[in-house]
Amino acid sequence: MTVFKAFLKVLNKSKAPIIMYTVFLIIFAAFNVEKNDNPAQFTDEKPSIYIVSREDATGINRNLVDYMKKKCKFVDLKGQSLEDALFYRDVSTILFLPEDFGKEIMEHKTPKVIIKSTQDVNASLTELILNKYIQTAYAYSRIAKTEEEVVEYMNATLSKETKVEVLSKLDTSHLNKATFYYNFLNYSLLAGLIYVICLIISSFKEEKIEKRTIVSSMEYKKFNRSLLLSNGLFALFLWAFYIILSMIMVGNIMFTTHGLFYILNAFIFSGCAVSIAFLIGNVIRNKNAINGIVNVIALGSCFLCGAFVPMEMLPKYVLNIAHILPSYWYIKTNEMIKTTEIFNIDSVTPMIINMGVVILFTIGFVIITNIITKRNRKKD
Amino acid sequence: MENVIEVKNLTKEYKSLKAIDELSFSVQKGEILGLLGPNGSGKSTTINCILSLLNFQKGSIQIFGKEMKPDAYDIKRSLGVVFQDVAVLEELTVYENIDYFCGLYIEEQETREKYIKEALKLVGLEEFQKFYPKQLSGGLLRRLNIACGVSHKPKLIFLDEPTVAVDPQSRNNILDGIKELRNQGATIVYTTHYMEEVELLCDRVIILDKGHILASGTCDELKLLAHIEEKITVEGIQLEENQMQKLEKLKNVEDMLYSNDTLVMTYQKGKNNLVDFIEYLKKEKIRYSKIYSERPTLNDVFLELTGKELRD
Amino acid sequence: MLEHNFDYTIKALFRDKMLIFWTFAFPLILGTFFHLAFSNIEKNEQLDTINIAVVQNENYKNSVMFKKAIPALSDKKNKEHLFNTKYVTKEKAEALLEEEKIVGYFILEESPKVVVKKTGIEETILKQVVEEISTKEKTLNIVAEVTLQQHGIDETKRDIVYLDSWISATYQNILEEWEKKPTIQDISSPNLSYTMIEFYTLIAMTCLYGGVLGTVAINRNLANMSSNGKRVAVSPTSKMKLVFSSALAAYVTQLIGVLLLFLYTIFILKVDYGDDLSHIVMLAMAGCLAGLSLGIAIATLLKASDNTKMGVIISVTMLGCFFSGMMGITMKYVIDKSMPIINRINPANMITDGFYALYYYDTLDRFNTNMMSLLIFSAIMIAISIFSLRRQKYDSI
Repeated sequence: MTVFKAFLKVLNKSKAPIIMYTVFLIIFAAFNVEKNDNPAQFTDEKPSIYIVSREDATGINRNLVDYMKKKCKFVDLKGQSLEDALFYRDVSTILFLPEDFGKEIMEHKTPKVIIKSTQDVNASLTELILNKYIQTAYAYSRIAKTEEEVVEYMNATLSKETKVEVLSKLDTSHLNKATFYYNFLNYSLLAGLIYVICLIISSFKEEKIEKRTIVSSMEYKKFNRSLLLSNGLFALFLWAFYIILSMIMVGNIMFTTHGLFYILNAFIFSGCAVSIAFLIGNVIRNKNAINGIVNVIALGSCFLCGAFVPMEMLPKYVLNIAHILPSYWYIKTNEMIKTTEIFNIDSVTPMIINMGVVILFTIGFVIITNIITKRNRKKD
Repeated sequence: MENVIEVKNLTKEYKSLKAIDELSFSVQKGEILGLLGPNGSGKSTTINCILSLLNFQKGSIQIFGKEMKPDAYDIKRSLGVVFQDVAVLEELTVYENIDYFCGLYIEEQETREKYIKEALKLVGLEEFQKFYPKQLSGGLLRRLNIACGVSHKPKLIFLDEPTVAVDPQSRNNILDGIKELRNQGATIVYTTHYMEEVELLCDRVIILDKGHILASGTCDELKLLAHIEEKITVEGIQLEENQMQKLEKLKNVEDMLYSNDTLVMTYQKGKNNLVDFIEYLKKEKIRYSKIYSERPTLNDVFLELTGKELRD
Repeated sequence: MLEHNFDYTIKALFRDKMLIFWTFAFPLILGTFFHLAFSNIEKNEQLDTINIAVVQNENYKNSVMFKKAIPALSDKKNKEHLFNTKYVTKEKAEALLEEEKIVGYFILEESPKVVVKKTGIEETILKQVVEEISTKEKTLNIVAEVTLQQHGIDETKRDIVYLDSWISATYQNILEEWEKKPTIQDISSPNLSYTMIEFYTLIAMTCLYGGVLGTVAINRNLANMSSNGKRVAVSPTSKMKLVFSSALAAYVTQLIGVLLLFLYTIFILKVDYGDDLSHIVMLAMAGCLAGLSLGIAIATLLKASDNTKMGVIISVTMLGCFFSGMMGITMKYVIDKSMPIINRINPANMITDGFYALYYYDTLDRFNTNMMSLLIFSAIMIAISIFSLRRQKYDSI
């Protein structure tokens, strides 16, 4: 009981960082709102563009602008820095439409459309769409006598869309959100647990207090056990808190089989985080160093294992290194849950294997901690 | 005698509290003046006012006959201060710490090196030159604190409770060092709430309480203020009720206390109290194992003047 | 006196392990993390060859345009080939899609159809390409038809053999024309790598973290802040001189830290700061000055423990870095666009934006604005500090 009381005191002191880790989680999860709500129907991915042209354009010019606006997401940048918008990917392409574009087409000349683009996949898609328009316009300029006639032909031809069938019925947008949340949880859980548990262990292990507990009537093992229990309770509480938060932030999907696996995965990882925290708490005696270590370990595992930047965006060699971190297996499981349609033996087995790896890590950390504390006590 | 410090009508108020009230005193050249008082009596505040660290509402302060101001650098050059808190830089070694603070007074490197060696010797830290403050025990740290304050050979030294929480060995070392400084010609203002130190060191004592001077003078002069003369303690004595009543009626007895086979008799001023008492015990055939007499201490004086103990 | 204090302040700062960790090592570690995590993002965002399948049914074999266009787009000899195509049966295509070996497959039924697993950019490209081909086919047919009519050849008069070759020639004509004409010209700057902003915020963070050095160094000279300060205050040295030399020592320490970070990011992490070395150095120095002056202002104004002061500086820095894009580059753009005032007074953004201007902009206007802002910010902080430093006696200590 005394241990537990002291525990609560330390916990009370470290409110601020815990709140901070949680606020980060909320902000980032809230930011990541997906736009697509209807998974069963295909909707075009629309690259965002801006077009510089005359407002009162007519004929082909007008038609091109209208077409691009329909096929792309038009971002109105009037009065804003075009350069910045491009750099920060607010738009992928900026079109500078020459005033006599339509006229030159009618005259079978080669008008130049100047663009500035981010040269990424979105820009490529825009170029594809733009190219299609210009080529079609060329072709029709051979048979049409006026711009209006070309526009008429164009509208008739371009309005026809290709049929697309979507096979997967997964609620990708919600699953994406849940995965993002649970991946980011890697940071909040690790940082929160390591910070608090290290602080507690270091205050208990501070020489004077340690001596007092060794000579006190409480058995050393019993003391250790109640310390472990308090930390375990704290981890349980923090885990439950984040689960409830996820239900609020992500919504219904948390009450499906998918949600159950996310929760289970997070639970197993929380246990691993406690064992990491115990190991660090027993190795590091300097209270001031805790903050630095928390940041390096939590941020490091997040960056390396794909909690912040999705795994598929990471270089291969980084992911290879990441295999030695439990966070990698935790996040990989989350990614697997995201893409699983039906939970059966085939799809669940790899997840179970991953969770097993995390548990093995946990056991490993506990064993190392025991070896270290035993050696330390002998030294004393 | 030449007055090194002249404090007149010093008054310092914090928002609602009058910390120092119309305080006037002077310090003479070459003496060790003890400022004695319990915690919160205004000792440190007085020193901080004298040093121009604190604003005060009223009064004047002169040092070496000149008004003390924050930029009175010629005065400050001859001052040495050892504050209550240990003020050293954690990242510098013992030697570097002394050099750093000494360097604020003395630019010339050779002189400084000589002075640092002497300061190290004074406080007995020669063997710890390369240690960092973190590696020093409480007592050694206090000694370093003193060395940092006095290495530049000041003519006037303020020591603000330099022996708080110090082991006996370090305390003796510190007290010897202070005597040594006085022998070298420095004037010293010493604040403490340990009266034994005052009795051991100080030429003159000012007793402060709540910002007032309660009394001042040499130790012996102050002790005369107490109207008790001595305290006689008898151990291993067994008394009956009637014997106690008789004892109480003996000449000059102010008060008596008996418990656990120990008897404490407090006497008023008078002659041959101890001799009379021993003879009385012999006459009554009362057996005892040990008997001793104590003179009044400054604590007793303080107790009488204020009704409270010095140390609380 | 100045030199004496300067030397010892430098010595003391460099021996403070926690301080050196946060101002020297932490930025290097964070920079390494950024590098590991972000180095591939932009490469990933470029258009890769897309794996698709084409169902080889009768319709496909008989089609003119598709049978010609898709292999052309999948030609491995062409460096910019868009697709990596497998020609398979419908069953095989479905299996490939299920295993996610392909993004989608194309099947020519009565009309062209694309089958995909989910909505996405690569899927959209596949759809767009198919649409483009069928549009072209349709266009060609219309053009041919109309041309025939214009030449007065109505359906009754058509000689099949003659017509076919005639249409083919027209097709060929238009197709060649399409091939030849590069009508879209991209003139954007080559310096478009937005992940650079992350490293610029890192420099900003380091500059401002340097404020902690200033705080620690100055605190030791202030009688109302530390017991060391009392000792210094009773010594015969001018407080301003001491504060100045301590601040200078902190500044030099800070510059060494930032220099290390620059060397590391430039030579190991290959961060691009643009080519204008003298302006980069100026900006870094102004950034450090802003951090230092912030640190001094907090040291002199805030009556609290060293740890609290450091906490305040770190919080201010992190908040500033958050607004200038460290935790998501979009944040900087959103703030710049919708609440510019925040980033106008945000020293972290002045530094970040300064580097951005050097990297991305051709002119120096934007850079100059940021430089001026940093200097003004520093001047204000220093003025506030001096106002409080001029006090030599305190009401309480």
